[in-house]
Amino acid sequence: MAASCVSCGAVVSRRLLLRPRVSLAPRQVLWKAAELQSVPGPQRAIAYLFPSGLFEKRARPIMKHPEQIFPKQKAIQWGEDGRPFHYLFYTGKQSYYSLMHDAYGKILDIEKHKNQLQAKGLFSEKNKTIDLIGSRWLIKEELEEMLVEKLSDQDYRQFVRLMERLLQSGAAEEEFVQSFRRSVTVQSKKQPIEPVQRDAQGMAFSTSEGKRKSAKAEAVVYEHGSGRIKVNGIDYLLYFPVLQDREQLMFPFHFLDRLGKHDVTCTVSGGGRSAQAGAIRLAVARALCSFVTEEEVEWMRQAGLLTSDPRVRERKKPGQEGARRKFTWKKR
Amino acid sequence: MAAPLVKALLRCSDLTLGVRSAALRFPGLTQVRWSRYSAEFRDPLIDKEYYRKPLAELTEEEKFDRELKKTQPIKAAPSAHTSSVFEDPVISKFINMMMKGGNKVLARSLMTQTLEAVKRKQFEKFHAAASEEQANIERNPYTIFHQALKNCEPVIGLAPILKGGRFYQVPVPLSDRRRRFLAMKWMITECREKKHRRMLMPEKLSKELLEAFHNQGPVVKRKHDLHKMAEANRALAHYRWW
Repeated sequence: MAASCVSCGAVVSRRLLLRPRVSLAPRQVLWKAAELQSVPGPQRAIAYLFPSGLFEKRARPIMKHPEQIFPKQKAIQWGEDGRPFHYLFYTGKQSYYSLMHDAYGKILDIEKHKNQLQAKGLFSEKNKTIDLIGSRWLIKEELEEMLVEKLSDQDYRQFVRLMERLLQSGAAEEEFVQSFRRSVTVQSKKQPIEPVQRDAQGMAFSTSEGKRKSAKAEAVVYEHGSGRIKVNGIDYLLYFPVLQDREQLMFPFHFLDRLGKHDVTCTVSGGGRSAQAGAIRLAVARALCSFVTEEEVEWMRQAGLLTSDPRVRERKKPGQEGARRKFTWKKR
Repeated sequence: MAAPLVKALLRCSDLTLGVRSAALRFPGLTQVRWSRYSAEFRDPLIDKEYYRKPLAELTEEEKFDRELKKTQPIKAAPSAHTSSVFEDPVISKFINMMMKGGNKVLARSLMTQTLEAVKRKQFEKFHAAASEEQANIERNPYTIFHQALKNCEPVIGLAPILKGGRFYQVPVPLSDRRRRFLAMKWMITECREKKHRRMLMPEKLSKELLEAFHNQGPVVKRKHDLHKMAEANRALAHYRWW
């Protein structure tokens, strides 16, 4: 039943040239993807509708790299005669102690160099401080992973002290020290600033949301106003009879010295009175970010106005009276 | 038990810039006191003047602190804390200590009534006094409050130390915050317990504050009693090992 294909001359089973019979048992029909390109129309449609897991790239099994699955292990530390390769093998933590030894050697070298320069009179007090702010030291787990050895807390602390001493003695070994530091993100850049919108009358405003416990608030802050605040259509003085809540509403404005300059319309639902006030405060602070310089946004972040409060009511546990309170202890 | 260990580590881990999480977690100890914030979060600083200082006036240390803060996440400001000029940390702490069952509204109103009562009493005295004495009468209720609490603070305290099967009361130095706490605690306990049945808290508290302001009254007497006990037990001072 074999016949040659019209276009490419490849030997094709006669079944393909017949009216395509769609079978739900793909075991019987084995098509090769390469051949389907030459077969027009319906065959390509079927290949599209019923992709074979054998050839599709995206159907390949997803496996992690073997380095991520199998933990790093040390190779055999001694030769055929039983003699260890590393000179610090018998300390038990050879990589750690050799690292400490090298670092201390570098400190001594730097001091020797400094003494030589001072003897010649060529020493100059150059304060080349390395930028420590954008980076942090490796944490203990990361160092253990790097050295493939278990460390104790005292070992780790000693390591950090030695590294700081190396930093202080001079900026000569910067690359060596930087290999033990990881960068830390600058938090202020993470704050998303809402775009300023314009309503029908041309008034500029900005909308934002805020949450606290189970209260959700959405605030619309107008750029020019006289300090009126409307909560769910009610004036804030009537909605929040308690002074503390009104102080919370005023806090973002007072912090930026913009007390009577904005109008606010907000809707809030859920939570209690203090949670609603906190939610509105967060929403107003976020909305104000669009009218204010980047520096002031950073000030607000450091004053804690732009962080969403993650504290929620802790659940009651079984065997206790409340979240923390235990039942009265009875001796018998 | 874990608290002093943790505190010691906090002191040690000041060396490591910003790396606290690894140093604080011990393998053998489970963390009992935990919070919804992770370990990297810092407390917020609410002080308008601090932020508005121009860059030229900052020292090297302050500049370094500012740069460091930019990389650290900050907790949310608590709901009782604002940048308002009328806010006083001592008064806020006192209100929290007076609060019962989470009723902050009531505690705060009692505090404002107390301060008003103090002010009224001082004004009555002021108008009744001759012009020479008028200069000596303090009318600001906040200064009276602060001075009264300062007068109630003990200088030295007693700690029960177990030695040879017996508990001895050993004189011990107190930290600043312990002293402030004791002063406020004594004042509140005094006002709750030793009063006529129907006397309200603002009335009683204002009376006690004014007496403490003049170094008289039961709270200051309690402080003096504690000092006398400490003086009497001077010989046991060597039992203290810290």
